Amino acid sequence: MNQNELKLILEDVKSFPSMPAAALKLLTLLKDENTTNAQIEQILRYEPGLTANILKLTNSAYFGLPTKIGSVRQAVLMIGWKKLTQIVLASCVSAIVDKPVQGYDLSAGELWRHSVAVSVASEILVKELKLPVSDEVFTAALLHDVGKMVLGRYVKEDIAVIDGEDMQDMPFEQVERSMFGIDHAEIGANILKRWLFPPGMISAVRWHHDPDAAPKSNHMIDVVHVADVLCLMSGLGIGREGLQYRPSPAACERIGMNEQHLEKVVSQTLQWANDLAASLQADS
Amino acid sequence: MNHVVAVGDMKTGCRDDMIVTHALGSCLGLMVYDPAAQVGGLLHAMLPLSKINLQKASENPFMFVDTGVPELFRQLYELGGQKSRMVIKVAGCGQPLGNSEMFKIGERNYTILKKLLWKNNIMIEAEDVGGVASRTVYFDLSTGQVTISSKGVKKEL
Repeated sequence: MNQNELKLILEDVKSFPSMPAAALKLLTLLKDENTTNAQIEQILRYEPGLTANILKLTNSAYFGLPTKIGSVRQAVLMIGWKKLTQIVLASCVSAIVDKPVQGYDLSAGELWRHSVAVSVASEILVKELKLPVSDEVFTAALLHDVGKMVLGRYVKEDIAVIDGEDMQDMPFEQVERSMFGIDHAEIGANILKRWLFPPGMISAVRWHHDPDAAPKSNHMIDVVHVADVLCLMSGLGIGREGLQYRPSPAACERIGMNEQHLEKVVSQTLQWANDLAASLQADS
Repeated sequence: MNHVVAVGDMKTGCRDDMIVTHALGSCLGLMVYDPAAQVGGLLHAMLPLSKINLQKASENPFMFVDTGVPELFRQLYELGGQKSRMVIKVAGCGQPLGNSEMFKIGERNYTILKKLLWKNNIMIEAEDVGGVASRTVYFDLSTGQVTISSKGVKKEL
């Protein structure tokens, strides 16, 4: 392990792009049951970029609304502020993760597509298994791999060692830890911490490859973990490291998932993910 | 002409066509070629059996092995292909690390394919299946040659 590299990686985390302030405010309101439509409107009214995106998304085929929506107020009424907040956050995330990721060999838009697929699969899992998991799971899933944006450069530099015979039976996050002293999940959690995101989301990102190691296991972590593996298996945003990850049977047991659920979720994810990824892309 | 086959899709072509599919994880990549007629098709199926979601299967048979494989053969017959001349190659069907039965979708995809082919007296000519690799397949319909690319390394199948 290279101490100097770890220092550089942590520096990169500090200079990673921030989330728009409005996104964070929305996230806080999303957690509060007493939030009113007026409060949401208030925040969005002064963010012309977000407003334009909201109108574009609300009018997209994904929602299939019968009439054209012309204002944020109408949008909130039509699709509800929870869904609206999620899609606003998603369009903020898309601007960050739609770039190519070296090292993992993901071309432009692929990490975004994977992120959306994992969000969609997570929501389907929650519904299918009737789990008491908060709406935060959508955004947590969307950001689970954000750490790859930082680590990719270092993975690429050391790719000869990483491709070595002795690394091939090791889950890839352990390969990262043995090389750099940190993995993309922990880097992602650090980024979310800097963005002042809620603790539940931070731990879902932190433990998405190793849910059994979480100090306190919960359904949100397990759902993101399983959804991630399923999307990789389906080839949705699968990178150079392929399927070099180890799914946790204990996590499946905790959320009560069997083989049939698993295949059903896979069969439902593809189309939703494709539709949503296209309509949520920022400024396309 | 270049055709790209997305996840849960199938394309056929002839002579000068090249069919490509990216990112095979646990999905099945099936390449079928008739050298005499110079026609071929590539299927990228996600799941073994259509009974898990019959509605999806009726919308898109290529999502499943049990509905996608017969449809691929049917379309090749329409293009002049003959069963006795078909050359079959298989790629993908990978699985993550560990030995969890639940996540062996790749193995189940492969088993259903073998059953279908066996019932119809069809042999597999070559295959590159299993393991954790993400595979990209290039299928050249002028020669029937199949090239697999993984981690930037290309090899002929």
